[in-house]
Amino acid sequence: MLFAGIDVGSLTAEAVVLNSGGIISYESMNVLPNPVDSAHEVMGRLLKKQGLGWDDLHYTVSTGYGREKVQEEGMAQQNISEISCHGFGAYTENLEVRTIVDIGGQDAKVIKLNGNGELADFVMNDKCAAGTGHFLEIMCKALGVTLDEIGPMSLSSRKPVRMSNRCSIYVETEVIHYLQRGESKVDLAAGINKAMAERVVALVRRVKVEERVMMTGGVAKNIAVRKELERMLGTRMLDSKIDPQIIGAYGAALLAQREGAR
Amino acid sequence: MITLGCDIGSLFSKVAVMDGDDIVASGTAATTGNIESEIKDLIDGVLKDAGIDRGNIECTVATGNGADLVKDAGFVEDEVTCVAAAAYFYIDKVDMAIHIGGQSITAMSMDEDGEVTNLMHNDKCASGSGRFLEAMSRKLNIEITDIDPLAAQSDKDVLISNQCAVFAESEVITHVNNGEKLPDIFAGICASVANMVVAQGRRFSSAEDYTLTGGVTRIGSVVDVINSKLSGNYHAFPHDPGLAAAIGAALLGATE
Repeated sequence: MLFAGIDVGSLTAEAVVLNSGGIISYESMNVLPNPVDSAHEVMGRLLKKQGLGWDDLHYTVSTGYGREKVQEEGMAQQNISEISCHGFGAYTENLEVRTIVDIGGQDAKVIKLNGNGELADFVMNDKCAAGTGHFLEIMCKALGVTLDEIGPMSLSSRKPVRMSNRCSIYVETEVIHYLQRGESKVDLAAGINKAMAERVVALVRRVKVEERVMMTGGVAKNIAVRKELERMLGTRMLDSKIDPQIIGAYGAALLAQREGAR
Repeated sequence: MITLGCDIGSLFSKVAVMDGDDIVASGTAATTGNIESEIKDLIDGVLKDAGIDRGNIECTVATGNGADLVKDAGFVEDEVTCVAAAAYFYIDKVDMAIHIGGQSITAMSMDEDGEVTNLMHNDKCASGSGRFLEAMSRKLNIEITDIDPLAAQSDKDVLISNQCAVFAESEVITHVNNGEKLPDIFAGICASVANMVVAQGRRFSSAEDYTLTGGVTRIGSVVDVINSKLSGNYHAFPHDPGLAAAIGAALLGATE
């Protein structure tokens, strides 16, 4: 029996299909203007890839932006908040996890779980772009590198350029200014990742960090931000065996499995 | 005595030349790349237009972020001191000035002698600053000078719910896609800036007579919203409010 999760975020949408043996397939794409279209497209691509149809899915949970609408359109039987989906996905992935740092395209969340994987505390920043994936996206554009490149390239920096601003708009100007002055892209990338990590740590410190910590969301793939966070928090992050960007959709699919079996 | 005040901001450089109590020349130029030569060209141009010989300037005072780049300045003065000096010079009983610059909002309270007694400064976040307006107008392909005439045509504000300039950029595009009209969107953008300013001004809620300075306060749609929400009596700065710090610098040059 197949269960599915659909997670439409602000920048990307993910779909996961699993059965009792685990994940069968997943798909990720940049969002379309309408969350319902994004949900339809991302799951459609996955089903096509697997030679499946919508009717093959026994129970589906939608989460993220527009999750209610996705359910109303009949693509899911139930919708569950992204916090619950994220928590459940990360906990299933590794039972040791107590703190989840989820950095998405337009917000950053810290989710704390108790020993049973239930929500214990939660803080979020969706007011300021600094410390979200959007910040990195702007800086990558200014530097002329891709989101995939900015992490690895900065590891070879010996002298990260310190950003004196916090606001994304001001840091963007600062980066352009440094480029004009001839600073290397490698040192700038390192400085940007450091500035990013500093904003995330400020959020994380609003809850009492309990080990162990797992990073999820697209920014978790940035090795430099991840290492900097580990250094600042004094802990080693748990590795997620599955793509950290699909944890939300994975959690949704797992919850679909639990709910659908009732 | 002829003095020259030079305010080097993050977006614009401003120059004011004063002969005693009178402003005899002034000018503004965008601050872009080579600031040092831009300042020199600006000062030379302003003096030439006014027919003033450089040798007649008795004192040049620099202020603003880039004050140190003004090579022939007699001294450098803090921007807050300059704004307060200009406000005190023109406005009786003024006890608060809010200066909205390219990258900051500063609210300052003053005593009866025009001395700054307290100030609140926000330069951490672009919300409410000139940069916020610049980002929105760039996103919507509108000149910054067209914001005010556009917003004035609005009959309803479109609420901008994001404070963050980066998020607000996406939001205004969504409003355009939803068929909202540009005047209404800009009215909402002006209200958003005004609300940030009001939040700063309310830190000095006892102020009875205030003025507004800085380039952003050239925009009437912003000023109107601020005045509708702040208590106390508003006194318009009697000259281009964008020049306030430069005028204050020139005034301080004459007294010191």
